[in-house]
Amino acid sequence: MIKIDNATDIKDIARGAVLLGTGGGGDPYVGELFLQAQLKKGNAPRVVRLEDAPDDALVITIAGIGSPSVMLEHLASEKTLLEILRRAERLYGRPVDMLISCEIGGVNSMFPLALSAISGLPVLDGDGVGRAIPRTEMSTFSIYGCPATPGLILDESGNSVVIETVNDLDAEKVVRAVTSALGASVFGAFYPMTGAEVKRVAVNGTLTKSQEIGRCIREAREGSLDVFDTLLGHLNQDGRFATILFDGKIVDVTHETRGGWHWGRATLKPLSDADDVFTVDIQNEFTVARRNGETVTIVPDLITILDRESGEPITAERLAYGQRVKVIGYSADPLLRTPEGLCVIGPRNFGIDEDYRSIEELTKS
Amino acid sequence: MRDILRLGFDVGGTNTDAVLMLGREVLHTAKSFTTADVRSGVVDVASRILRDWGGPRERIEAVMIGTTQFVNAFVQRRGLAPVAVIRVSLPKADGVPPMAGWPDDVVEALGSSVHMVGGGSFYTGEEYAPLDVYAVRAAAREAAARGLRSFAISANFAPMRPDIEERAAAIVREEVPDATITLSAQLGGLGLIDRENATIVNASLADLGRKVVQSLIEAFAELDIHVPIFISQNDGTLITTDEAQRFPILTCSAGPTNSIRGAAFLTGLSEAIVADIGGTTTDIGFLRKGFPRETTAANYIGGVRTNFRMPDVLSIGLGGGSLVRQRADGAIRVGPDSVGFRLQQEGLVFGGDTLTTTDIAVRSQGIALGDSGRVAHLDDAFTEAALDAIHQAVTDGIDQVKTSSQPMPLILVGGGNILISRDIKGASQVLRPKHAEVANAIGAAIALVSGRVDRLYDLSSGGREGALATAKQEALAAAVQAGADPDAVEVVDVTELPLTHMKAGSVQIRVRAAGPLATLR
Repeated sequence: MIKIDNATDIKDIARGAVLLGTGGGGDPYVGELFLQAQLKKGNAPRVVRLEDAPDDALVITIAGIGSPSVMLEHLASEKTLLEILRRAERLYGRPVDMLISCEIGGVNSMFPLALSAISGLPVLDGDGVGRAIPRTEMSTFSIYGCPATPGLILDESGNSVVIETVNDLDAEKVVRAVTSALGASVFGAFYPMTGAEVKRVAVNGTLTKSQEIGRCIREAREGSLDVFDTLLGHLNQDGRFATILFDGKIVDVTHETRGGWHWGRATLKPLSDADDVFTVDIQNEFTVARRNGETVTIVPDLITILDRESGEPITAERLAYGQRVKVIGYSADPLLRTPEGLCVIGPRNFGIDEDYRSIEELTKS
Repeated sequence: MRDILRLGFDVGGTNTDAVLMLGREVLHTAKSFTTADVRSGVVDVASRILRDWGGPRERIEAVMIGTTQFVNAFVQRRGLAPVAVIRVSLPKADGVPPMAGWPDDVVEALGSSVHMVGGGSFYTGEEYAPLDVYAVRAAAREAAARGLRSFAISANFAPMRPDIEERAAAIVREEVPDATITLSAQLGGLGLIDRENATIVNASLADLGRKVVQSLIEAFAELDIHVPIFISQNDGTLITTDEAQRFPILTCSAGPTNSIRGAAFLTGLSEAIVADIGGTTTDIGFLRKGFPRETTAANYIGGVRTNFRMPDVLSIGLGGGSLVRQRADGAIRVGPDSVGFRLQQEGLVFGGDTLTTTDIAVRSQGIALGDSGRVAHLDDAFTEAALDAIHQAVTDGIDQVKTSSQPMPLILVGGGNILISRDIKGASQVLRPKHAEVANAIGAAIALVSGRVDRLYDLSSGGREGALATAKQEALAAAVQAGADPDAVEVVDVTELPLTHMKAGSVQIRVRAAGPLATLR
């Protein structure tokens, strides 16, 4: 099982989580420091394999919800994190046995670990998507029949709102409205599942994967190896596929807020004088990458942009003109690529008027 | 605008350099060693330059100084003041206490006390909890009882609600009248942790800031030069001595910025690699559009992450004082250890008995420096091997800084530029402009004055255009306030970041404006 007992271990998970966050999911930095502070107090998180969840266990997700920029000001409260567990147990009428991340990409890789460190409850090695997603209903938990609600939201002042909706599309709307009313940075406890259910619907092994990706980048850098060779070697395992989509510099980035989402587009050009134009569209996360107008990777497959020297993954908010980067495409977990998955997290769910084609098909031709 | 006669200085860890400039013309230059009191080194070098020039000193209109004194002190954990940190945030943020990600040795060196108290605001500026005035008072008393005089006060969304920190500061001042207080809102940007870290670093430099700035002011009083003194800040623009004394952190990366901008000025190039070869290290940076390329990742000062953008500079252990040794297997090793500022005593050509890179340069190129007879005994093969090692180190460094294999011009600056005598692979040409040895002081003397804003703007009233226009106006006003010419000041950088999960649209906008120094009299 993965080891989390020093700052480097945490940083590795965070770095991997940014890569899997495919531009979004929120910078894990706040969660990283939260965990570090717990380690300094002698509280370490405990991670167990997904397979080891007892069938009758009560498993829930714990997440920070809201605007990443607001979280960078409000940070996170230890007291509130422990309190939401107590209120969740009151809501569900029984003790919670285990925690799981709803979204490994970004900051919510960290909060279940933080609560584990505080409460002693174990965290399962997996999550509800294997990347980051802009909306609740795109979770594999939702797709495969485990609804987000009943669940609750809690702020640091002690205000909590229990949410019970008829489907997860509505849950998303209500959670957004409540989060906004409470100051745009809150904790949520959702997706009550049994151990038997979670083993069926979760993306397996993603905490481990996140740490391995982070470690792979760090060790390659420390050993002066080629970060991208090492990283691609690691990602191209277990039937998954990854490749470098583009190598160049960012020549333009646009950002705008519409309907509560961060929209934008990064435009890249090669470092040489070639005329190629590469674009990456942003809808909280990176959704589609195109070379000279031809799609090369599209949701739910992952697109990630990394500093071309250090291999450090860069979030959409941090993209800036002039950065020298490499863009990596990475096949999504098989759970997202089924017909059921694609009708919820396919390109059209992001308003992109084209059918899903796998990164393998798009890049191997 | 007429040409201003001014003195530019670079007070480095080893050398204090000076330049006298009229408009774009370099009239005189001088180099000296940095002294422990800072003042006498400055007086010495300024006196020499004034003597060489021979003009009346009352014609000098401004003094501009770049210094690495503060960053060196923080990196070496030297002369730091213990800080009382008060963060106004409860019930929020208790899971990530101040200094959570700091290296243990800095935390120990600072011997700080950390207090979290109630209060703070939402992104809308509305308070979610009132300021806990009793807790602030108790924290101030406790810190005072421990003898602490330097305070760092932070609050979430302080850029939106600076008054909350100001009220806390007023309470601290009631309890500790001689307190030096840094407020996080004074150090800009959204992102509490990085802003708070910068606040604490700044507070730790409070004593040193006073000492160094005072000694600079005394130096010019002693020189009978009574004009405004400006200090270079991180982006290469100027701030007043009063501001530098209160915010020494703003000067932390001025050194590399000045040398890169000085190199651009001296060569007229706007795209190049710049290698500043000093006594102990070579700092290699990337000149793009006349400004240094800045780092994209988080920036660290002495292991502490802050919200300041820094020039992206690679530092390698090669300088004019680097030791040259032959290992048992015959291989030549150059640096990273150096005799540093003792070069003039310890280098062979200066009568010492340590073989340095400067000795190799004198031996191979016959440079008129010291006594070349003292290196005549070095054999040719050895000298060649040492030269190979020196050039290889620079070649490797340049290759790391460059972002493509295409050759680029290389500008050599700094006193150690004499070490490089051959072509460098990856460089289309090697430029060694006149006055290269004082590029840093020239960078200080040519600096613009800047102002900046970084805060949230409400889009509901004037829309995006209205918010951008307001932000630009505020940045321009800040630059003029700092001394920029109102007729020549312009916006140089605009960044906007939208915030998701919000009812009405708000947008975080950063704007920087800069302009030449206004005519001073």
